[in-house]
Amino acid sequence: MARTLRFNIFRYNPRNPASVAHMREYSLGETESMTLFIALNRIREEQDPSLQFDFCCRAGICGACAMVVNGKPGLACHTKTKDMPGEISLMPLPFFKLVGDLSVDTGSWFRGMYQKVESWVHTSKTFDPAAEEERMDNELAEKIYELDRCIECGCCVAACGTALMREDFLGAVALNRVARFLIDPRDERTEKEYFDVVGSDDGVFGCMGLLACEDVCPKDIPLQDQLGMLRRKMALAAVRGMLPKFLRKD
Amino acid sequence: MSLSTIATHRPVSPGLTAAYLDWLQMLTGAALILFMWCHMILVSSVIVGPGVMNAIAGFFEFTYMAQLGGPAIFAVFLVHFVLASRKIPFRTAEQKVMWANAKRLEHKDTWLWMVQAATAMVILVMGAIHMWVVLTDLPISAAKSAARIQTGWWLLFYLCLLPMVELHVGIGLYRIAVKWGFVGRKDRSGFKVKENSITYIFIGIGVLTLIRFMFLAVK
Repeated sequence: MARTLRFNIFRYNPRNPASVAHMREYSLGETESMTLFIALNRIREEQDPSLQFDFCCRAGICGACAMVVNGKPGLACHTKTKDMPGEISLMPLPFFKLVGDLSVDTGSWFRGMYQKVESWVHTSKTFDPAAEEERMDNELAEKIYELDRCIECGCCVAACGTALMREDFLGAVALNRVARFLIDPRDERTEKEYFDVVGSDDGVFGCMGLLACEDVCPKDIPLQDQLGMLRRKMALAAVRGMLPKFLRKD
Repeated sequence: MSLSTIATHRPVSPGLTAAYLDWLQMLTGAALILFMWCHMILVSSVIVGPGVMNAIAGFFEFTYMAQLGGPAIFAVFLVHFVLASRKIPFRTAEQKVMWANAKRLEHKDTWLWMVQAATAMVILVMGAIHMWVVLTDLPISAAKSAARIQTGWWLLFYLCLLPMVELHVGIGLYRIAVKWGFVGRKDRSGFKVKENSITYIFIGIGVLTLIRFMFLAVK
């Protein structure tokens, strides 16, 4: 027999001075293959057209529908109601600026972060649109792609105790971006230049190793391994000059 | 907003301080973990016999490891606290955020960090008392330790300190391993199980040691 799901959804419109933050309850009959994305759309269409939430692709690619589901950040479109208890609480992602209800502005933060870590290939070569694309070893291309799969949903930052306490902390998503360029041979940045970007307490040395980022990432990106690799690389870069010659190489 | 968060054409160099402090935090932590394992060997040797413990303590005395190493460990202990406390939230607003996040997330490693931070505070006070009492009454001997355990509130004191230290050491070792990437994604859960087992075993050995001291004849 189909369940009736009870949703407790955070409601608040920061642009309306009369709005007060509260949790509102909605009931909805569960249907086959229902996701939270489907449930939210039905609630909006059938019960409350004022409910704000973001979505775009419905397929775990755009990252727009990230929210806190029963305490854990995740994607609404990826979360099947059959895997959930009968009572579901939905909150907006913390850390990011609230637009209203379940909708947050991740874009502004991500743009600032990308500028800060200079999230692009730094090369002295002039791009020739007519030239054949430079060849890359397939294994390496797959390694880069593995880190490039990040959809910028913001779940890792919203689950990070360090980022929530210290808003200047870059977070796993930024450190993963840097790790991605670090293994890309087209990026000509030196170790010192990478260190200048992440070698601080706002960067990799601020990470307390809580690993919630690793555990909530909806795309299962190996964040723990990137954070560890980056910490070792940057820590070694700081003391490289003190090491005996045979230990100085990577 | 600090200068380093402002997008600049060229990033402002953060300097090497954070890296050095991170190294020191890890190395002092690793040194204290090693010390605690050696400490466990010394005190638990009383289970085999007070003579064995006295022999090991005598060796430390003879080589001046107790007289010089003891205060050195005390210094490392204080340095480690200062370095690690840079990450601990002391402001009420930060503590509230951390609590709210841990409760909302129900994430084991976040809770382990909370335990690590809370045990650190207890160890700072109780560990300092323990070191002061032992280092101002050298040489170490089984009889002296037993006499202390059998006096007043000291048994309760050590029954509190023991799990605090073992939890902090166990979680600390796990944290170093995952934070520095010595243990990767695929080995993490297995490593955690092993680390938990070691922590429980060490608490068990510690309790047995305290029981042995409790019933050791004091002249």
